[in-house]
Amino acid sequence: MKMDLEQLRKTAAEVVSRDDVRYLVGWKQGTYGYRVAPGFIEDAAGAAELIFSPLCTANLATYLTLAEQLPVPRGEEPDDRKVALMVKGCDSRAVVQLLVEKGIERDDVVVIGCPCPGVIDADLLAEKYPETEDLAEMKWDGEDFLLIHGGEETKIARDELLAEKCRLCRYPNPIISDIMLDQEVETWELAEDEGVQEIEGKDVDERADYWAEQFEKCIRCYSCRNVCPLCYCQDCVLDRLNPTWVNRSVNFSENTAFNIARAFHLAGRCIECGECERVCPANIPLGKLNRKLAREVRDKYGFEAGVDPEAEPFQASFKPDDPEDFIL
Amino acid sequence: MSANFEPNVVAFLCNWCSYAGADLAGTSRVNYPSNIQIIRVMCSGRVNPLYVMNALQQGADGVLVSGCHPGDCHYMEGNYYARRRLGMLKDLMEFVGVDPKRFHMSWVSASEGHKWKEVVEKTVEDAKEAGPFEGFRRRKIEW
Repeated sequence: MKMDLEQLRKTAAEVVSRDDVRYLVGWKQGTYGYRVAPGFIEDAAGAAELIFSPLCTANLATYLTLAEQLPVPRGEEPDDRKVALMVKGCDSRAVVQLLVEKGIERDDVVVIGCPCPGVIDADLLAEKYPETEDLAEMKWDGEDFLLIHGGEETKIARDELLAEKCRLCRYPNPIISDIMLDQEVETWELAEDEGVQEIEGKDVDERADYWAEQFEKCIRCYSCRNVCPLCYCQDCVLDRLNPTWVNRSVNFSENTAFNIARAFHLAGRCIECGECERVCPANIPLGKLNRKLAREVRDKYGFEAGVDPEAEPFQASFKPDDPEDFIL
Repeated sequence: MSANFEPNVVAFLCNWCSYAGADLAGTSRVNYPSNIQIIRVMCSGRVNPLYVMNALQQGADGVLVSGCHPGDCHYMEGNYYARRRLGMLKDLMEFVGVDPKRFHMSWVSASEGHKWKEVVEKTVEDAKEAGPFEGFRRRKIEW
């Protein structure tokens, strides 16, 4: 259950020294408080910065498709070395889904699997233990979390801080990996998805009111799209001006259209890493939209995103016996 | 909702079956509600879910998508894709609080003029029941 940092850094140094590896993406200590930053490690010495702790919530699979593709100067060969990537269970599903969609090639990545006993919700943590300027560390301690801050160690119960996505997580162990860093963790008992169930329990008008309140808050910063490991279209339909699918003005109508379009484009693709909800500056519960769709896809069509690298993409395939009870 | 509310219903019909079916209904002098505005598309699989959303945003009270029966698609499998996508869209719309009565999908073949009439009647009746769509309709900006 406890990740050995020495071993992690040693493995990372070995991987990054390989001739066929360009750089490694991992987590490193941030600059203040509970922050953890993505680290792009290019040499063995840099590997000493890497960490893996309950604070490592970010899904680094985003950087596989986010990396800038500069034009290759004339006379030079393109750099086709691999990118090494540290993944938790949920992140590995993003990698699998990218493989399914042929967004990346399997040979272009080295996946370093980190079995993950569950990460924390930084907002909950900051609420209970206010964030200060000096750096804090966190560890897994048996079932619970251990916060190390200013020389003091505080034990915090797992249920207090565990992120929502982790409460609902069915794949804490990486699904694909080239190197596995630790022993696999045991899956835990799943919580009920209360957020989604609560909305399903409402009638249509109440739901409309609930979402109206949420979508009103949207400032259309597009963070949810930018952070999503699976929103990697070079020419995004939400950015298009000709034709204009979604107007740029920030008002309830366009916000709703934007959010429906974003959620819909992830139907059968969302791997429930919860990044959209985490980065949302307006605290819109985007995860509920995604989880609802993911559950419908699972229950009605028997498909789950990011589990089988050989699968057909959900929206680009069909079965003749798909449910059609909604058809007149 | 006023008793004599007449809804706007936008219908996306596939060129090969449903549009021909609606045409047949016309040539056979079948009476059906005139609330429906038909947009012809080449295949129901061509209907982007954003069309449905845009229609609602721009003044539709109900939307209908109609294509060939499964297995009869002119392009072999377009309607299968449509079924998957629009089924998901219907679930999502319902989840965000759009009355499921506002969105329907149907299979109408070129020979089913009478079925077309029934589908339109049902769609318009449902849209009437749901009332004018006030949800996320685009509003005129007044400075």
